[in-house]
Amino acid sequence: MADVLSHVLLAFAVFTVIGWAISWLDREWAVVGMVGAIFPDLTRLGLVVDDYVIAQTLGIPFDWEALATVGGVLLLSAIGAVLFPSRRTQLRAFGLLLAGSSSHLVIDGVKAYADGANGALLYPLSWWRNPTPGWYVSSDRWVLVGAVVSALVVLAVDRYMMADSGRQ
Amino acid sequence: MNHHRRLLAAGLLLVLTAGLCVHYGATYEDNWPYPTGDQLAEEPAGWDGERVLLFGEVQERTGSGLVMTVDDDAGEVARTITVQGTAADVERGGVVQVYGMLSERGTIQQAESVVVVNRNPGDSQYKLGTSALGVLLAAGLFLRYWGIEWRRLRFVRRSADDRGERDG
Repeated sequence: MADVLSHVLLAFAVFTVIGWAISWLDREWAVVGMVGAIFPDLTRLGLVVDDYVIAQTLGIPFDWEALATVGGVLLLSAIGAVLFPSRRTQLRAFGLLLAGSSSHLVIDGVKAYADGANGALLYPLSWWRNPTPGWYVSSDRWVLVGAVVSALVVLAVDRYMMADSGRQ
Repeated sequence: MNHHRRLLAAGLLLVLTAGLCVHYGATYEDNWPYPTGDQLAEEPAGWDGERVLLFGEVQERTGSGLVMTVDDDAGEVARTITVQGTAADVERGGVVQVYGMLSERGTIQQAESVVVVNRNPGDSQYKLGTSALGVLLAAGLFLRYWGIEWRRLRFVRRSADDRGERDG
């Protein structure tokens, strides 16, 4: 996976641009999508509470990696969505959290693996590993540079359009 | 959705998420096409003659490759492997993925493809640091636009006045 900052900045750029076409998708909803872009990296909870320690303590297998899959982000998005006040905001939140976390999985889907196939991102639907072009590794600095530039360009255009169109 | 139903729904979804992590942990070894560190430790010669993908921490560079350690679930060294046939630019403490054939009771791997995940320990710190920044950015922006109503356990929109912005 790329670093979380890159995922969050790219989600900002993507949802801000989509917001130009969808009137309700303003900044307060774009930030919900940015939060969704963090979800697959909640696997790093393993740095705080190790999988092995949980497995040994409970006597059952446990792997945080499940959170960086389709099944994991669906459940995490649903958890986030129920914390919104009305049915309408819950649906919007679910859609944006899922879209944000899906953008993360799509970007992860093209990172480098030595055998040319990715992790099992479709779990639990399938353990199939998509072929990857191997465009980057997570420590590549150019990924963050690209994300920062994308976010700044979109922010500048958004500011200009907002001023031009009189939107708040 | 009232407070009690929201709490129940979030609790059920959290249990399902934990269940997904348990299922992933229980089924990973059967579905991942390559040996884990635990499997290599239990059956060192079990994959001799097979092409496998391994993740390892570089211990030293050699004339024709490198020496890496592969960990088990507990984080202990499961196998020390001499990788031959790579000139990958990586330092001691770096992390690599190696795809190639194992031999000599899992102690020699002939590299067909190597991906340098972390060139050195500094790359790992870089990823952790930028990821922490990403979480802070997303959480900070979210809390700028959404408040938490703890009594009813839900997010609520902040008004422009709450954010210190002015209409117009």
